[in-house]
Amino acid sequence: MTQVSTSAAAGAINASKIYGKDDSEVRALDDVTVDFALGQFTAIMGPSGSGKSTLMHCLAGLDSLTSGRVIIGDTDLAQLDDKQLTSLRREKVGFIFQAYNLIPTLSALENITLPMDLGGIKPDQEWLDTVVDKMNLRNRLSHRPSELSGGQQQRVAVARALASRPQIIFADEPTGNLDSKTGAEILAFMKYAVTDLNQTIVMVTHDPVAAGYADRVIFLADGKVVDEVENPTAELVLDRMKHLGS
Amino acid sequence: MSSPVVRLTLRGVLARKFRILLTILAVVSGVAFVSGAFILTDSVKSAINNLFVELRGEVDLEIRTKIAFGDSARAERDPVDISLMKDIAALDGVRLVEANLLRQATIIKSNGEPLQTSGPAFGISWTGPDGLDGRTLLEGVLPTESGKVAIDKASAKRAGYVVGDKVTLVGPIGKGEFTLVGLTGTGSTSGGGGASVSAFDPITANEFLGADNKADSIYVGLTPVATRGDIQKAIEEVLPSGYEVITGEQSAQETAGAINEIIDIFGKVLLGFAGISLFVSAFLIFNTFAIIVSQRLRELALMRAVGASTRQIHQMIIGEGLVVGIIATGLGLVGGLGVAKGITFAFNAAGAAFPAADLLISSRTVILSIVIGIGVTLAAAIIPALRAGRIPPVAAMRPELGFSALQRSKRLIVGIATLAAGIALFSVGLFVQPGGTVGTLGGSAIGAVFLFLGVASLSTTIAAPVSRIISRILPFPLRPMTNSVPGRLASRNAQRTPRRTASTASALMVGLALVSMVSVVASSVKKSFTDQLKASVTADFFVTNLSFQGLPVAFAERLAELPELGSVSPFRATVALVNGEEKQIGAVKPEIGDLVDIDIQKGSIDSLADGDILLYLDPARDLNVDVGDTVDITWQNGKRSTLTVGGIYADSSVAGNWLIGLDTLGKVSSAPPVDFFIGAKIADGISIEDARAAVEKVAADFPSAEVQDQAEFQKSQEDQLNQLLAIVYGLLIFAIFIAILGIANTMALSVFERTREFGLLRAVGMSRRHLKRSVRWEAIIVSVFGATLGIVVGIPLGIAVAIALPDSFVTATVVPINTIVTILIASIVVGIFAAIFPARRAAKLDILDAIATH
Ligand SMILES: Nc1ncnc2c1ncn2[C@@H]1O[C@H](COP(=O)(O)OP(=O)(O)OP(=O)(O)O)[C@@H](O)[C@H]1O
Ligand SMILES: [Mg+2]
Repeated sequence: MTQVSTSAAAGAINASKIYGKDDSEVRALDDVTVDFALGQFTAIMGPSGSGKSTLMHCLAGLDSLTSGRVIIGDTDLAQLDDKQLTSLRREKVGFIFQAYNLIPTLSALENITLPMDLGGIKPDQEWLDTVVDKMNLRNRLSHRPSELSGGQQQRVAVARALASRPQIIFADEPTGNLDSKTGAEILAFMKYAVTDLNQTIVMVTHDPVAAGYADRVIFLADGKVVDEVENPTAELVLDRMKHLGS
Repeated sequence: MSSPVVRLTLRGVLARKFRILLTILAVVSGVAFVSGAFILTDSVKSAINNLFVELRGEVDLEIRTKIAFGDSARAERDPVDISLMKDIAALDGVRLVEANLLRQATIIKSNGEPLQTSGPAFGISWTGPDGLDGRTLLEGVLPTESGKVAIDKASAKRAGYVVGDKVTLVGPIGKGEFTLVGLTGTGSTSGGGGASVSAFDPITANEFLGADNKADSIYVGLTPVATRGDIQKAIEEVLPSGYEVITGEQSAQETAGAINEIIDIFGKVLLGFAGISLFVSAFLIFNTFAIIVSQRLRELALMRAVGASTRQIHQMIIGEGLVVGIIATGLGLVGGLGVAKGITFAFNAAGAAFPAADLLISSRTVILSIVIGIGVTLAAAIIPALRAGRIPPVAAMRPELGFSALQRSKRLIVGIATLAAGIALFSVGLFVQPGGTVGTLGGSAIGAVFLFLGVASLSTTIAAPVSRIISRILPFPLRPMTNSVPGRLASRNAQRTPRRTASTASALMVGLALVSMVSVVASSVKKSFTDQLKASVTADFFVTNLSFQGLPVAFAERLAELPELGSVSPFRATVALVNGEEKQIGAVKPEIGDLVDIDIQKGSIDSLADGDILLYLDPARDLNVDVGDTVDITWQNGKRSTLTVGGIYADSSVAGNWLIGLDTLGKVSSAPPVDFFIGAKIADGISIEDARAAVEKVAADFPSAEVQDQAEFQKSQEDQLNQLLAIVYGLLIFAIFIAILGIANTMALSVFERTREFGLLRAVGMSRRHLKRSVRWEAIIVSVFGATLGIVVGIPLGIAVAIALPDSFVTATVVPINTIVTILIASIVVGIFAAIFPARRAAKLDILDAIATH
């Protein structure tokens, strides 16, 4: 078993998540131990229902484990109450969902700074400018989400995740709703954030091409980590998926 | 509140402004009623106070007889002897002395009909604008000799008289012909403050008003150098015992106070209905917020996911409530001015002649409106806010988890507890009646609020099955709804969100429960009255005066002389202290025995002629007296009598608890007598037509009197009750209207929420008409559900009230089936009405747009 290294941004130890009771019991996560090194881009893959989203939700403090532990930085999430979890989400964690990422009544800029505004923290203007420019959102800042394309909306979501410089960013199929070209743009930005800005990102994806952007791919099946590939390429990933499938 | 929360709150309101508009409207109407009630009563009271201060004009002191007990303004005082005036006038410092005489005098219009006024019809003694009285002469000259009269300008105008016309007036002792020589006003107004006022010179007034050289009181005006306190003392020394001197201000205050009390009661009734409207709007606010929260589930979860705390979510939703509350309260205050103006206008159109009052908005009105308007909104928004706070962050990606968090509640337990507390409070208020009227009304009102809340909460449990039953049995339009696709959709949709269906229906329940309750009570009162009339009244004719001023005593005297009639007795009333307690005592002739069956148990009715007193069973038992024992009585003028109990009777429904003879009353009281009503029986062998003709002939001289046989009497009493009912229903309509708004709002919100679903339905071939029908039918299911709840809750409440009312008033309990059927049918109309806008909206949806919406 791998040990959670001290240089990890986050990790899970013997994490289990059980839904339902008795007969209808579903083991969404079954004794998962995994860690995510600082400054690494990790992809999580696996068949539908294998527990990818569940793992992410639990890692991010959106949901709680049935047993086991989740560590973000040097904090054990099990020790935190709702208030502390809230501020952890605000300050240490960033999110990018597949869709419905933005508050419809707020402008793009307001969406980007929302976590900091909620925490009463003044955004670092220089950093904010860097992120906005990198995401190519400069002339879209005052637009409402309904006035943005799907790709632009996802870029705003990425910018929001980056803006507070969290310990770690979780993305659940961030390109799942986008065409391949727009998706590739988003992935390139994420890759850039990892390599140039030293951000840690964990991303769930079904797409081998997307996984190819990552530094490492973890494969889940039936709630267990079943395989792992370092420095993957799309072909390599596709090959492993075929193996797992059979 | 930190800035992003404020921003999110304001954006939230702006983004949903149309959805929130109806909510605001509901609160506005409630607040408008509350502030309107205050503005109206404040303004009218101040105008009335001013009016009486003006009327007392230069009256510095007033001399009148004393009373032994009771309310000063309404007391029946013995008149004062005008011979006293000489002695007073002779005192140093006294400038002017006048007799104040005010009696009933009706103006007859040129077509022979009496002039109807909302207030009383007065005849007064007047020395003109130079005298002490504050009346002004607006046109013509002062009446200074017999045969001349001055009338207040407003009444003259309404009667169609101008200066120089011949006017017929009817006073306490008969008719008179006068020449109209002047038109008067009061203070700044051209009317008599709602009364018609005919003014005569003192000598004519004394004759025509039958004052017999007596006056109600004596007004005293002082010279500018005189000290009022000294002169008051000097007068007191001159006065015989039994007299008192008060200041003009006190006199004005007492008179105005009596009217102010009535206005206060009116204001309280208005406030009561405002409370009902607000209560119903609370349901609407609650519903809107609950629905909006569930529609924003993802958004709220996303906020939680990116770091909004539970508190910030609470603040946001409560903040939206605050915005709604502030806007609605502001508009409501403005609306209150409109309500006050509208009511004044309506009453003036009906002839009330409210004095022209500047509308007064006191700080009390503003503060209370703010507290109530914002308070109700916030209270209604709290539960949705708490629920919103429970939405877990995961719901941003798994909305179904959020829904289960929104649904969680201890509804059943809380509902049952609330209902039980409501029933308990209501029953204690009604049957134990702690703390008199205030306790009874307060206890049962608070009990009813709890009861309604409990039922509203519990109705969620039955909403789905009852909706299914309603949709199965409602033959709409001709066959059960569920036989068609739109009907099935409507039925499923009503069942899909039982909580929403239940709370929407509950708003309607409140209004309709009150309607059902009132109609049960009213039917029971009517039935009891009819029963009593049949069982205990044997008179053939009744004479009443609907203006509440009573009948001149001459009427009964003349009827008694008619050979066509047998027994005739007037019914007079007075108050007296018996055993230290103030009691209403009736004064009648012994003939009452032929007119009303009082079910005499012991002794005889004829003993009234000997100066005896008759007692109903209850007071006889309380005083522990029997026939032949004596009862000590103190009359209002301070005289005391010891009366022998001449009989004990068992039916108090018409006669009341105490009866004395007219002569007994006449011996102790010299207050100008008036009769409440007169009962008469036809003499043997006379046909009803002949008897009636004879009575009507006498009545022609008393135009304000109304002659009725039993059936007409019963009908006129029922008409009066129906009029009262119409006002009550009219005020409840506002609460029902708000509930209709509520149904429309919920349906509109649901349509918005189901945009995608409707798009899909249209895409697979459902026509606009069917879509509309489905929305309409859902609204009908909701409103019929509300009506059913209202009836089920309201009828037992009505029965409880009918049982709790005293037996002298209500003996029977009747559940009016036709009212119930009407309510059910009306609720279908309500549903159709409420669905107009939402159905149109649903039908207008563009298929592509609907499907593209995410
Ligand atoms: N709230 C829940 N209640 C019951 N079972 C659940 C719940 N959430 C997830 N599951 C189950 O847990 C298992 C893992 O679900 P999860 O959403 O993590 O899968 P996934 O790998 O993200 O799938 P996909 O690729 O389809 O998104 C599935 O079998 C799912 O049915
Ligand atoms: Mg998933």
